[in-house]
Amino acid sequence: MRLRVVHETRYHYAPSVDVAQHIAFLQPLNTIRQQLVSYVIEISPQPEQKRLMADVFGNTRCYFSLQTPHSVLQVTARSVVETSSYPLPTSSITWEQTRERFRYQSGTVYQAAGEFVFASPHVPRHAEFADYARPSFGPGISAMAAAKDLMQRMYRDFTYASKSTEIDTPAVEALRQRKGVCQDFAHIMIACLRSMGVPARYVSGYLLTLPPPGMVKLRGSDASHAWVAVYLPDMPPDLAWCDFDPTNNRCGLHSPGEDYVTLATGRDFADVSPLRGVIHGGADHTLTVAVTVEQDDGSSLTPLSRF
Amino acid sequence: MTNNADSNPLPLYGNQFGVQEMVRTSSATAGHFDELRGVLSSSSNPVGTPSASDAPGNPRLTEAWERFFASIESDSAAQLDQRAINIERQIHDNGITYNVYADEAGPQRPWSLDLFPLIVEAAHWQRIEQGVLQRMRLLEAIMADVYGSQTLIEKAWLPQALVQAHPGYLRALHGAKPAGGTYLHIAAFDLARGPDGNWWVVGQRCQAPSGLGYLLENRLSISAQFPQAFQDLRVQRLARTYRALVESLKNHSPAGQNAHLVLLTPGPYNETYFEHAYLAQYLGLTLAEGSDLIVRDEHLYLRTLKELVPVHGLLKRVDDQYLDPLELMSDSTLGVAGLLQVIRAGNVLMANMPGSAFLESPALLGFMPALSRHLLGEELKLPALATWWCGERSAMEHALLQMPQSVIKPTYPGSTMHQSFGAVLGNRLMPDAVDQWAGRISRQNEQYTLQAYMPLSQLPTWQRTDPRTSNSGQVASRSTLLRVFVVSDGQGSWRVLPGGLARLAGSTDEISSMQRGGSSADVWALTDGAVDNSTLLQPPLTPAALAQRKRLVTSRAAENLFWLGRYSERTENIIRLARLILDNLTGDEPASVTLIAWMGQMAVGNALVLPDVPSLAQARRVFERALISSLGSSDGATSVGYHLRALKMAASAVRDRLSQDHWRLIVRTEEEVSAFHQTYSQTGDFSSLQALRMLKDTGDHMAAIGGAQADRMTRDDGWRLMSIGKHLERLIFLASSLARGLQTGSVRSPTGFAAMLDLFDSSITFHAQYQQSRDLVAMINLLVIDRDNPHSLAWVAQTVRGRLAKLSDDAPITPSSLSQRVSDPAQWNLEFLCQTQPDLNAGTNTDYFYNLHELLQHCMHAAQAVAQDISLTYFTHSGTANQSLGSR
Repeated sequence: MRLRVVHETRYHYAPSVDVAQHIAFLQPLNTIRQQLVSYVIEISPQPEQKRLMADVFGNTRCYFSLQTPHSVLQVTARSVVETSSYPLPTSSITWEQTRERFRYQSGTVYQAAGEFVFASPHVPRHAEFADYARPSFGPGISAMAAAKDLMQRMYRDFTYASKSTEIDTPAVEALRQRKGVCQDFAHIMIACLRSMGVPARYVSGYLLTLPPPGMVKLRGSDASHAWVAVYLPDMPPDLAWCDFDPTNNRCGLHSPGEDYVTLATGRDFADVSPLRGVIHGGADHTLTVAVTVEQDDGSSLTPLSRF
Repeated sequence: MTNNADSNPLPLYGNQFGVQEMVRTSSATAGHFDELRGVLSSSSNPVGTPSASDAPGNPRLTEAWERFFASIESDSAAQLDQRAINIERQIHDNGITYNVYADEAGPQRPWSLDLFPLIVEAAHWQRIEQGVLQRMRLLEAIMADVYGSQTLIEKAWLPQALVQAHPGYLRALHGAKPAGGTYLHIAAFDLARGPDGNWWVVGQRCQAPSGLGYLLENRLSISAQFPQAFQDLRVQRLARTYRALVESLKNHSPAGQNAHLVLLTPGPYNETYFEHAYLAQYLGLTLAEGSDLIVRDEHLYLRTLKELVPVHGLLKRVDDQYLDPLELMSDSTLGVAGLLQVIRAGNVLMANMPGSAFLESPALLGFMPALSRHLLGEELKLPALATWWCGERSAMEHALLQMPQSVIKPTYPGSTMHQSFGAVLGNRLMPDAVDQWAGRISRQNEQYTLQAYMPLSQLPTWQRTDPRTSNSGQVASRSTLLRVFVVSDGQGSWRVLPGGLARLAGSTDEISSMQRGGSSADVWALTDGAVDNSTLLQPPLTPAALAQRKRLVTSRAAENLFWLGRYSERTENIIRLARLILDNLTGDEPASVTLIAWMGQMAVGNALVLPDVPSLAQARRVFERALISSLGSSDGATSVGYHLRALKMAASAVRDRLSQDHWRLIVRTEEEVSAFHQTYSQTGDFSSLQALRMLKDTGDHMAAIGGAQADRMTRDDGWRLMSIGKHLERLIFLASSLARGLQTGSVRSPTGFAAMLDLFDSSITFHAQYQQSRDLVAMINLLVIDRDNPHSLAWVAQTVRGRLAKLSDDAPITPSSLSQRVSDPAQWNLEFLCQTQPDLNAGTNTDYFYNLHELLQHCMHAAQAVAQDISLTYFTHSGTANQSLGSR
């Protein structure tokens, strides 16, 4: 499926900002399930500096700085990706075996995914995560089945409520209130999996949504999305990450489905937040984010950027 | 060398207070190594119990200690007390403090230093030196691997969890090459001497180790107390190592020898701020806080009054997590946004490269021997205490058995990712507590590290006579940890500072920590070779040297200097005012009604009393009590105590620019006033006489502080701003005082006339010129027009204009326009100012100096407007905070 994404972020400042530096993770990844056809990022005003580099996880980090006063910042990322979907593969390794694979013993074989068993800034260790996870992790259950069950339980137990959490609400808070947004659900599910010793990472991206029957899809009506990928050590390395979306109860190999666009992966939100920054000045600011994900009919393609 | 003890036995005087004997009868706790004698102590002799001769079986002191005590053999306990008191006083006077963090309003704790040094003999020192140098090379190699190929992790020689689960591993810098090629420029190793007399590594500090400044002060204090022993024992000197470090940092930086190096401090509230200011001054670095620095075009700059000045190297004392709100902790106000980008671009030398904190985990010690074999192909020369990281199942099982003989330590420091705890001594745990810990460890094994417990060697210390209990002074043994420092001295090359910081436990503690009330001692590393005498430990910046060197004035320093000036002047003014009021209330000559009215207005207007105090005319006693009780208080009324405290805060932020004397004066003055206040609050009563005496003393101190500010500081733009602040305050105060005097008519009464002259500090001049006259025009001439009188408005206005004109030329608002905001006193005309018209408002018969009134109003408003413009023009940077943005 060819998907076109426009992700627009706009800040209005009062008074204006004198100096600002930002970091964006807005360029979709190339994966076995997703091919980046084109990508361009438009920044207004024109930044004095812009640097692109790969981060430690293979995402593209875009650093830019603005050194002249400005009262509006607009960042527009336009991407076109070609996606495909596969159902979950067959993996039989139990969650206990998975856990043992990542226990350190000198002389054991290193696995890069081990990094995703550890606590991270938004996903600290907490007994409550283990308590919530446990019913899905019966003895001898495969890691895959446990993850799927966990996702389904979360889908059942949690209410999606867009204003119920802030950007920095701790995941354990969202767990207690059984409410949140996709970012909270992803963090909770990751915390549960890691508390059982199963490596899990955070995936930021988008999901194609369809307008209600008979309605025209509104521009900017979508949002950025987040879900979870779980590592299954008995699979070949490029087939080992399976994606689970507890917000929508969808899963699949390397992506929950062909209507998903993968932007970046990391330990949690902090590693891949779409746009962050530090500004000097601009005591008051308002933020508007508009995301549009559409199926692309092939017309008027944005030329592939040099980046 | 001959053995003094054998060839020249020291006489015992039969005086139980002789130092030799007190030393001989003291001993370390059994099971600890006795530094004094160089053997394992088996003594059961209670510490400090005097006996007539050496306890049986107590071997003689080591040769070094014999020689040390021989140099002070005639000292009595009283003399040792005196030395200890001298040191305490010096520490207090030099303002050497160790703040307890998070206690911003609380008092600073003086640094604690013991009288006797830790003496490390040459052979031992060489082994330490070689051992820590080797470990430094190893740590550097680990850094290069972890931030590069990560082979160590891939081969499982280094557990992934000790790097990737540690908050100190900074993914944002993975792949970044340090400017100059070296990751680690400074590291500290904590060593302990075991019962066998060998030194063992207990821990290592690689992020921003503290101690390099404190140990210098320790050395200055202790070597001055024992100059003879210091010479005789061939103690290695320190200065050359500091110089080598600065040279090395410059050579590693992108700008080489011309590098501008900055010491990045979290600020005056940090527990080791004294050391930051001291080191910056000693090493000749600019002291800056995060808000003083800014990133432009992937380069780092210092915000100064005039311009952005490039910075080529940072010696950081801010923890890594706080360094960059853009990429690390977003709510950090201590860092510099974009710094990591500058680092990745290779445009700034970092000492040390951020991301080294994971090396500080105690868990790493257990892996060092194998890492050394893999990376260096060498066996470690200096062993570490046996350490087990419980994240490895087999190690945990072994460690759990060892728990009663171990110290339980957190693998990770506290953060949002990991909870942490203070080290726990296994041998102090009750059996059920052992089980609880075992449970915790097996549930979250990777979080725990066990280290073998080792009794620390004990050092003689002088416990001075307690004046309250009159327990006489005595020698007592205290457990000690030795912190040694390794610093870079070239490309891939390091050297060990031949000295260090000994930290001493309190009487019962096993593990010493300054935060928990321990003390410190100087460290004398002896040498068999020649002592490097060419280097002297003089603080390199004398007032003369300061004058020669053009120093950068950061915006923050400028702001603090400006306020230092304003607070100093305000303090002087209100002291003079308070004295004047109390004098007039208690004096022989009754104050006129108009004077009473003037004093009441002045006291309220200058916040010496709260506005709701009954008026002076109605309730003189109540008013007087309120005024005295507010003098030292730092809440409610903003009287003398309040302003002194504000003055001290401003001064502490520019400590690196003040002479030792200057700072000492400020500290003492503030202390005396707060002592006065405490006594007042306790007894609840104070006569005006006592208050007046305090005010007089404080006034004298303030005069001395003013002298130090006028004569002992470099006259750069920072100083100029301080002076401008001072004179703007004076202009406001004098103009408003005179305006009130004219308004209330107090200047027309004999007592009010005298009071006004007093307040302008111009009585003597006036009487010299006009004898006993009380001519108002003569007074206006002296207090307003006379440009030879340093307390006349004209003189003050002229000074302000002059200083403003000299302020940096390329400032956004041109200095000339700022200076012209204050009317030119050359244009002031006595005749014009003394033109009168009937005062319609006052409804009295007195004539009203309309033009003078206008001028006074102008002076007040102009001074306030200039102060505001100065803030806007020069200090806006630090005024506006950075904000972090995020969207999801």
